[in-house]
Amino acid sequence: MSVSPLTYSYAAPEGRYAAYFKPGFVHRDLYVSETIFREELKTLFASTWVYVAHESEIPLPGDFVTRVIGRRPVIVVRDEAGGINVLLNRCTHRGATICREERGNATLFTCPYHAWSFTRRGACAAVPVRTGYGESVNLAAFNLGKAAAVDSYRGFIFATLTPRQPLIEHLAGAATMLDQWLDRNAGIKLQVRNGAMAFKLRTNWKCVYDNAADGYHVPFSHASMIRVIERRYGKGIDINYDGGVADASPLFVKNLGNGHTILDQRPEMHASSAWKRQHVLPGREILWSQLNDQLGEDSALALLNGSTGAGMNINIFPNLLIIGNQIQVIEPQSVNESVIRWYSTSLENVPPEINAIRMRMQEDFPSFGEVDDAANFEACQLGLEEIPEMEWVNVSRHMDTNQSQLDRDGYWREPISTDLHARAYWSAWRALMESAGAEDPGR
Amino acid sequence: MSVPGAVAGYFDLDHYRAMQAVVRGWLELVRIEPSRTPSAEDHEAVCRLLFVEARLLDQRRLDEWLGLFTADAAYWLPSDVSGADPTVTVSWEFNDRRRMEERVDRLRTGMAHSQIPPTRTVHTYSNIESIQVAPDVIHVLCNFQIQTASNAGVSVRAGWNGFILRRENGRWMIVLKRINLFDADRPQGNNSFTL
Repeated sequence: MSVSPLTYSYAAPEGRYAAYFKPGFVHRDLYVSETIFREELKTLFASTWVYVAHESEIPLPGDFVTRVIGRRPVIVVRDEAGGINVLLNRCTHRGATICREERGNATLFTCPYHAWSFTRRGACAAVPVRTGYGESVNLAAFNLGKAAAVDSYRGFIFATLTPRQPLIEHLAGAATMLDQWLDRNAGIKLQVRNGAMAFKLRTNWKCVYDNAADGYHVPFSHASMIRVIERRYGKGIDINYDGGVADASPLFVKNLGNGHTILDQRPEMHASSAWKRQHVLPGREILWSQLNDQLGEDSALALLNGSTGAGMNINIFPNLLIIGNQIQVIEPQSVNESVIRWYSTSLENVPPEINAIRMRMQEDFPSFGEVDDAANFEACQLGLEEIPEMEWVNVSRHMDTNQSQLDRDGYWREPISTDLHARAYWSAWRALMESAGAEDPGR
Repeated sequence: MSVPGAVAGYFDLDHYRAMQAVVRGWLELVRIEPSRTPSAEDHEAVCRLLFVEARLLDQRRLDEWLGLFTADAAYWLPSDVSGADPTVTVSWEFNDRRRMEERVDRLRTGMAHSQIPPTRTVHTYSNIESIQVAPDVIHVLCNFQIQTASNAGVSVRAGWNGFILRRENGRWMIVLKRINLFDADRPQGNNSFTL
């Protein structure tokens, strides 16, 4: 399949959201309007596939986690046949959330208010003194709401309230990127039950999403991290890339279709040994030595290279961002508050030293880099909110520089510092909002 | 082959197991038996160390603060509240001495945007309990409240600290500071200052 160079469809004159877009620019209201935020929750998050959980979080029948689709509370639960159900966590009686735990194992979900209970597939199993609803009451009328479709791609579980296209079609070019991210160590499976960091940011969720394949900010937003690493360990370590944001850099951003993108750092991160390039971490030398003793130097290095930060920022619109070895999920809270959860990952059936290394590695960027990004996302929100006279946000970088190309895989690619990512997801945003019938916000 | 700089017993699996055993002991602690109660003199000495530690943080004198820690120290801010195994569970931060120093360096680059302007803090330690573990090793548990002020406004962090302290050349030093935010598993704001 081929994704043509972006047509910047959001610049088309027709459509209810036309007034919020012009070539290379998006309007501040998209970040600060309560009306648009409510429309996003109601319409955008209900009309596309949303990542909800990883299969390794709920391996056994009855295992569940509670998550959100936009802001809608849902229960992701495995049934006795191994199927995965995404139940709307709202009692069909008075509307109370039924399950109030983050995770667990359940045979039935029983509402604490009047004890209506529901199976793992959402069927109403019992209501106390059912005859109060008449002798002929049919409990099926009380079944829980469910996602219209649930599917998983290699362990990543997605749900949608509106089935428009199969998951694999929705993922488009992102599926192959997920394959490459997962297959760095052939035959070794990923686990996602290693805790998470949840950051609370005073910013619109799209200020987070804007950054996800922004290769332009790295030397500036992360100057403190890069400087400390360079002073101590020299140039060319971790994200201190030779090319920086110069367009000669071999790093690039690619439009994978349907709003999904990748910022590919592998041409430098994995040019030789990603492990040797990685910022040092607690226990690096002793654990590496012990792995050398156990496995031999070549095998140890291969395993370390394959479990080091992937150098792939894979962004699956609207809420899933793969970064390093982490799975980052965006949870909008309000028009100017967002939670981003960084789920940590480990590998099955590897020496425990590898996972100890992975844990410390996954603490590195969040505390040395993400905190500065967060400060910048919050600063964007402040500027956008408080200065209505300045209306437009610039996403025009590399739009007209003729440095883009159709890659061999059929996907459009642009130099590292491009805003292609923003243009790509805004196109998907607008297409979803307009085709799904979001209300006219009135600009 | 041994990698240059490898230190056995520091951030290897043995070290993690030992720290986990200590943490489990803290989580399961009911009362401190008289046989494990330090002398009044030692208790007072370790309290003085904690108060200096808190004050240096509030003064943001981070070089002097680092000077309170041993060469094999750790600064640990878990992201869970259940004492999960750190070899398979991510923390907010689990820093060895090297990473503690790098972190302080970062804050001093003038480009650590998350700390411009720096978060002001008032650390208050209370409910201090000390446990004699060896003649020159004392563990201290205390509750903390950190009042903070930043551009985001005024807010508080709360929880309990677990310290492993060791007497080196007659001076009490910090081997481990484990900062147990009571809401570590819930969404956190800007914690890029030093807790």
